[in-house]
Amino acid sequence: MTSLSEEVLLVVKKVRQKKQDGTLYLMAERIAWGPEGKDRFTVSHLYADIRCQKISPDGKAKVQLQLVLHTGESTTFHFANESTALKDREAAKELLQQLLPKFKKKANKELEEKNRMLQEDPVLFQLYKDLVVSQVISAEEFWANRLGGINNTDPSPYNNKQEVGISGAFLADIRPQTDGCNGLRYNLTADIIESIFRTYPAVKQKYSENVPHNLTEKEFWTRFFQSHYFHRDRINTGTQDIFSECAKQDEKGLKTLVTQGVKNPLVDLQSLEDKTLDEGYGICTTQPSTSNANKSVKDSSNSAIIKRFNHHSAMVLAAGSRRGELASDQASETSSTDGNSRDSDFFQPPVKKVKLQEAIEFEDLQRENRPKTVPLNLKKSDRYAHGPVPLQSQQYTTSQDIINSVNYIRHEMASYKPSLTQVLSSTAATSAIAALSPGGVLMQGGAQQAINQMVPTEVQGELKHLYVAAGELLRHFWSCFPVNTLFLEEKLTGHLEEMLQTAYSKFQVWQTRRMMRKT
Amino acid sequence: MKLNIEGLLVYFPYDYIYPEQYSYMLELKRTLDAKGHGVLEMPSGTGKTISLLSLIVAYQRAFPLEVTKLIYCSRTVPEIEKVVEELRKLMEFYTKETGESNNFLALALSSRKNLCIHPEVSSLRFGKEVDGKCHSLTASYVRAQHHSNPNLPVCRFYEEFDSVGRQVPLPAGIYNLDDLKAFGRRKGWCPYYLARYSILHANIVVYSYHYLLDPKIADLVSKELAKKSVVVFDEAHNIDNVCIDSMSVNITRRTLDRCQTNVDTLQNTIHKIKETDAAKLREEYRRLVEGLKEANVARETDIYLANPVLPDEILQEAVPGSIRTAEHFVGFMRRFLEYLKSRLRVQHVVQESAPQFLKDIFEKVCIDRKPLRFCAERLQSLLRTLEIADIADFSAVTLISNFATLVSTYSQGFTIIIEPFEDRTPTIANPVLHFSCMDPSIAIKPVFQRFQSVVITSGTLSPLDIYPRILDFRPVTMASFTMTLARTCLCPLIVGRGNDQVALSSKFETREDFAVIRNYGNLLLEMSAIVPDGIVAFFTSYVYMENIVASWYEQGILENIQRNKLIFIETQDAAETSMALEKYQEACENGRGAILLSVARGKVSEGIDFVHHYGRAVIMFGVPYVYTQSRILKARLEYLRDQFQIRENDFLTFDAMRHAAQCVGRAIRGKTDYGLMIFADKRYARADKRGKLPRWIQEHINDGSLNLTVDEAVQLSKHFLRQMAQPFRQEDQLGLSLLTLEQLESEDMLQKITQIAHQT
Repeated sequence: MTSLSEEVLLVVKKVRQKKQDGTLYLMAERIAWGPEGKDRFTVSHLYADIRCQKISPDGKAKVQLQLVLHTGESTTFHFANESTALKDREAAKELLQQLLPKFKKKANKELEEKNRMLQEDPVLFQLYKDLVVSQVISAEEFWANRLGGINNTDPSPYNNKQEVGISGAFLADIRPQTDGCNGLRYNLTADIIESIFRTYPAVKQKYSENVPHNLTEKEFWTRFFQSHYFHRDRINTGTQDIFSECAKQDEKGLKTLVTQGVKNPLVDLQSLEDKTLDEGYGICTTQPSTSNANKSVKDSSNSAIIKRFNHHSAMVLAAGSRRGELASDQASETSSTDGNSRDSDFFQPPVKKVKLQEAIEFEDLQRENRPKTVPLNLKKSDRYAHGPVPLQSQQYTTSQDIINSVNYIRHEMASYKPSLTQVLSSTAATSAIAALSPGGVLMQGGAQQAINQMVPTEVQGELKHLYVAAGELLRHFWSCFPVNTLFLEEKLTGHLEEMLQTAYSKFQVWQTRRMMRKT
Repeated sequence: MKLNIEGLLVYFPYDYIYPEQYSYMLELKRTLDAKGHGVLEMPSGTGKTISLLSLIVAYQRAFPLEVTKLIYCSRTVPEIEKVVEELRKLMEFYTKETGESNNFLALALSSRKNLCIHPEVSSLRFGKEVDGKCHSLTASYVRAQHHSNPNLPVCRFYEEFDSVGRQVPLPAGIYNLDDLKAFGRRKGWCPYYLARYSILHANIVVYSYHYLLDPKIADLVSKELAKKSVVVFDEAHNIDNVCIDSMSVNITRRTLDRCQTNVDTLQNTIHKIKETDAAKLREEYRRLVEGLKEANVARETDIYLANPVLPDEILQEAVPGSIRTAEHFVGFMRRFLEYLKSRLRVQHVVQESAPQFLKDIFEKVCIDRKPLRFCAERLQSLLRTLEIADIADFSAVTLISNFATLVSTYSQGFTIIIEPFEDRTPTIANPVLHFSCMDPSIAIKPVFQRFQSVVITSGTLSPLDIYPRILDFRPVTMASFTMTLARTCLCPLIVGRGNDQVALSSKFETREDFAVIRNYGNLLLEMSAIVPDGIVAFFTSYVYMENIVASWYEQGILENIQRNKLIFIETQDAAETSMALEKYQEACENGRGAILLSVARGKVSEGIDFVHHYGRAVIMFGVPYVYTQSRILKARLEYLRDQFQIRENDFLTFDAMRHAAQCVGRAIRGKTDYGLMIFADKRYARADKRGKLPRWIQEHINDGSLNLTVDEAVQLSKHFLRQMAQPFRQEDQLGLSLLTLEQLESEDMLQKITQIAHQT
């Protein structure tokens, strides 16, 4: 077996599958199981095919792990080693938990990419229909030499892929369920955990500090849900849980955010007022200093909620745009270190000016004075894409130029007066007309066009499809040489010949149809 | 385009014009022609500022002797800067059209905090610190001492300005705050003093209300502004409160304690000076005998704006003998202070008028009315004589002396309320003496008297007739303009019931009702699902919002809302709220959408605009009545009833509705903008409430949108939003709500416009 050369990450013995004892192998790209004493795997799943794993509840007698595939099938493994069953299962589970998301993304990505390619390229789509849907070649073969090429030559679409933000309500999605015996159960998914980590880096830090040395993962999350940190309406009463530090850190983060101030001067409430009344003047009835002291518990818990909501939203927002703004953030940081906050006046005006200009603008009172553009109206987009390449590619004319020249020509036409003294002689004119008529000297290129026009478009279209399909098959054919593997030989002798056969017959059909139509 | 406004050539820096801008200019011109005052309401986002500036600048150019100066007062710093930018645009247009640069000088003036360029002083964070530090570097005696002792720090920018800055006037041009600073840096002059000096000969001055309405500042800054000025109060819907605030004083125990230390310091300084430089004190005494004659002469010759803290009568008299010497005055202050302390030792609430207070003080400690009236002036003189550097430290004693002058000057329009504790915490003694002004006309009276035209304008001034009454002036023009619209881009809905038919209201009896809170939550949840980008929700008060947010959190409503949008909440901390606001805008910007929970009468509702996608819907939860249990408010209501025949309820409703209108008006900032305005309280449906909304909102409320359930409102909103999402081009507006010059000049359009004007 070639697979033996694969890297084996975990081997678990005494695992039953369909009442048969065997060994479970977790490898780099797949999970496999072979019955005891045999040298081959009867079960083998690529990680990419696995949708999710399920485990039997802790209390059950049988310690099991179930894999559900994308196709809906499932395979159940029973860990039968009495002493270490649970541990084995946990190990397998943990490893799978790490591996599956990687492959899941890859699978999705591939699928997405294929979809995108088909949607963007109508020719490819037609080819796909002709070859794959009509089962001339299999989908894998079709993609085999296409995706690879795309992946290698053009990795940018992957990198530019839009970051998916975090739902603002991810904490709401983990509604606790009662498990019937006076406890609560929280369902955590990998997505939610990632959301928590991305939104609250402090928690992530705690996680990496404590798991797995001090706490198991489960304990960690249990504590998380029990903490005051998670229940934000409770005030931190100073209990020693590991998250109280997080709360403090958050507080600090919020404070730095606040002290950083705002970039947009129009929303800076502090500098809004020009001249505040001096202390003691005005009709203010409440002194903030005193009202703070005798705030009831409820009041302060309310304001804690409000604070937390602001913080949460800010963090979610920041998590969504963190990566994109890294560069600009650094830029702003360097600028802010140059001088202290007040001296950054020198940097401030541009933002301020732009914002002020925006604020006083009345777009509808102004005449639109940007250069006029001609809307591009394409009837056949592929013709546009494969158009002739201009020799001097630098010399573009702007839309404005085109409009101008059209206007100019129109103007010329309107004011055109034939000067009758300076015209061609009649003989020259007739010969020129003859030359320009169909079949004339200058119209020889047009003869082919005539045929082009004679054949109805749908027939043309079919021919084109057949041509492309046949071309693709030929490509497959020639790519089989030199025949150095068994697989290629099989492909060559077996179904590729068939394929070409079908292609021929297809062409035959088309030709007869065409003939019939002609007659 | 060039317009002809009843014979006046007006340059308008745009190619098109809204019809209401034209009629606004017409009314404004009539006001200026009549040399009278005006009240003009024009919806936000219809180019009020630019119409105002265009017309007044044109008027100034045409009649340079009639109107010499425009004083434009706005409320916030960004707003001031916006006005200057619009002015710059107008002036650029003038230059382009006429081909010559005009010699207009226009500048913005703001506090030192926004103008200071001194590296040390400007790095201070609070305005008061900046003022104090600046004073300690620029006070006259500090500078005098600097001559003998060059090690003493002074502000080099001020020195430079003082030696050369006054000789050459600021070159003509438009100076925003940043331009002033840049100019100051280039020349090495202090921008703040330069601006203060330059407003005297500038054609246009843009600054905040306080420079005219707060007597303490007005006396320093605006005293010498020319009589033939036009004063504009923009965003003036709250002007009465600004007036009242600037004249009211609160005295707590802390104030008195600090005042005590102030007085002690004064005493010590006097002692010291007496030993070293007795001549100085004698000189002061001589000056005081002479009296405030100089000020009197100045006022009679009409150079100065009157100061309500410095009443006319005392100008004709010398400072009374009992407080003329420095020691006597300090002793006098001590006595007054002791008296105030004894008054604060009450166990129950006391409310009395100014004459009662004077009578009591005369009986108890034999303080006469007359010396009290000179208190403020006397203290200023003493502080000058004693060469006290840091005025900010003496704020407490200044406050007390201002109080003394005010209480002895005005027998009417003020009330004194002494509360031994706060209503919410009756066990904690925290006595406060409120000396509150109830008559806004006192502070604004000098402005109306002095300047030939005062224009009060805002997006929300309804009902118009109440402003002349409470400010006590007779306008020559009063007009309210609507917003001509090619598409109805605002959609006011009154949601009166929940889906379960529970009446929605923030009234006191149902404030804690869970059914109401839940239905409010439902409304927000449903809206968050259908409204794109930003939603702003306003609550009637901060406490109310806190409670509702807490119970929404408990009921899980907020979590459901978070599925649709991020939530940001205004807090009582300005810095925190600023951050939340910026994040809110960021979330609207990047397409995630957000909800801002905020408070009517708060800073957000007054100063922040939610243009376009920053506010596609505004929800007003409840009617934002002012807290009616406060005694100050009760006293004011009583006063309004007795003096102006305004019924309590009328005033309260007026006040609530102007704030509601302010809140919902934040979303619409132009004709291309659109937004939902949801009034979530069944009381809005009543005619007395609805009738007090500005006309441009009122006319879009039809009978079908008066008492909706949440579901019905959602249906209507969906429909509205779908319509608004269609492309809207300039051509759609042309001829209806947007006019070219030709269209404007056509007969029937002019007729239409006069019709609009007649409706008002």
